[in-house]
Amino acid sequence: MRAAELALKRKPKRWVINLVFVGATVAAMVYSFAGSTINWTRVRTIGISLRVMMEGFADLQWDFFFGTGIFRFEEGVIYLTLVTLAVAFIGTFMGAVLAIPFGFLASHNIVGKRVARIGEAILVIIRVFPEIVLALILLKGFGMNALTGVMTIGIHSIGMLGKLFAEAIDNMDKSPLEALDAVGANAWQKIRYGIIPQVAADVSSITLYRLDINVRSATVLGIIGAGGLGASLILAADSWSWNILGTILLAIVIMVLTVDAISSYLRGKLV
Amino acid sequence: MSKFTLTNGKTIVKPFNKIWIIVACVALLLYLFSRFIPFDPTFIKLDQLKVILEKMFTPKGNRTWNDYFMYIPKSLMRPLQETINMSFAGTIIGSLIAVPLAVLSAKNIVKTKFIYIPARFLMNLFRTIPAMILALIAVFFVGTGILSGIIAITLFTFGIMSKMLYEVIETIDMNPVEALESTGATKVESLRYAVMPQVLPMFVSYLIYIFEINVRASTILGYVGAGGIGTVIKDNILYNYDRVGASVLLMLVVILFVQMLSSFIRSKLQ
Repeated sequence: MRAAELALKRKPKRWVINLVFVGATVAAMVYSFAGSTINWTRVRTIGISLRVMMEGFADLQWDFFFGTGIFRFEEGVIYLTLVTLAVAFIGTFMGAVLAIPFGFLASHNIVGKRVARIGEAILVIIRVFPEIVLALILLKGFGMNALTGVMTIGIHSIGMLGKLFAEAIDNMDKSPLEALDAVGANAWQKIRYGIIPQVAADVSSITLYRLDINVRSATVLGIIGAGGLGASLILAADSWSWNILGTILLAIVIMVLTVDAISSYLRGKLV
Repeated sequence: MSKFTLTNGKTIVKPFNKIWIIVACVALLLYLFSRFIPFDPTFIKLDQLKVILEKMFTPKGNRTWNDYFMYIPKSLMRPLQETINMSFAGTIIGSLIAVPLAVLSAKNIVKTKFIYIPARFLMNLFRTIPAMILALIAVFFVGTGILSGIIAITLFTFGIMSKMLYEVIETIDMNPVEALESTGATKVESLRYAVMPQVLPMFVSYLIYIFEINVRASTILGYVGAGGIGTVIKDNILYNYDRVGASVLLMLVVILFVQMLSSFIRSKLQ
């Protein structure tokens, strides 16, 4: 009994450290809010805003959704959703194809440490460059349309895909390559029978995961005019048309959930 | 399908490779989707890309390089601070409110289907909506400025954190929980003394990782009016490309720094 009590007393006083930690966090939080310019009139009318939003959501525009009635099909949400999906899909495909050489360039196994560092640095810069800014730049070259969205997603995806591809290549078993060397295989045969069978599952799974991310990005890119749902979304938000906004949000939620479900089903099959 | 005759007279058929079905599906989807993308070579002006990059990364008109770089400490520190504040506050609040939902979504803690399925649906709902769109809606409620950014980041964090956390909770060792419950501990006590110690290290690691994601996301939230560096880009995108360029350079440095700091701390935690 005595020994247990002594042990309890000797226990380090964690609560002091915890208190300091929590105190510092709370202080930093307060500071974060203190610097903000809060528009109190807007905050006070939040109840009204909520009611307006709910009213809008209760009055979804089905003609706008399906592109029927006064709307042409090309103006409807269904069409815009398909454009968004097209941007994400083609962009991801393009990114995956472009990421393969970068993956080799950044893998220590294939090109050696020196070159791999350069490859990694390029990938970091691509990854870190904000997608919206990239789209704003590409907008000048490809115009205000979905093509800009495809190019943005294609280029931006290289950053993450290239890094993960390189990791997949570095993690693979080298003995099949040695075996192929031993039977006198050429470079192409080594890639075809030694590398592709080992990395194909990983690479497809990573690409599918990136598709999930890109579907969300494609919606956002529309906001600056790169095609798809985003343009209608920001128009609706600027004119406070909550029924239109709600209709678009519904489409976004259905689209993203569907793509997530399909992609995780396919990824489950791959593993 | 190709047939081979072996030397002993047997014939074997090379099985059909399923990869071709996948290739065909991808090709078909690419073809169908490409019809939605306008492609008109006459509208593509690649030389304009060079022009805009030059405008962004060189001083405009009679400004000097000194003006270009001094713009960063003079006018961008305040927006940068807003961006960091937004991410910090949003990460902390969002992660804290994610905890109860993550517990409710974990199958091994809550054994009732009627609770964990709706809880998972709720968090999936928040995860589907991009941070930028959350910010757009938040701006409607509380007006432009950092508060709408904090709300957007909070909801965004809530979505990711609850998902990551419930997956961790589901993989914990249940023996301590059973041991505590057998001694008559309540649900809350078993959560505090059996679940929390196992989950806390991962929670802190995720917290730092999500903060990193949030810094990246919040730099551009200003574009829809949620405060931070994005506001500067939005304000200058039409006339002062060099200001945009300077902001982008600052963003790159900050994101890289936060990323390195985050992976350093997380590697120390493990």
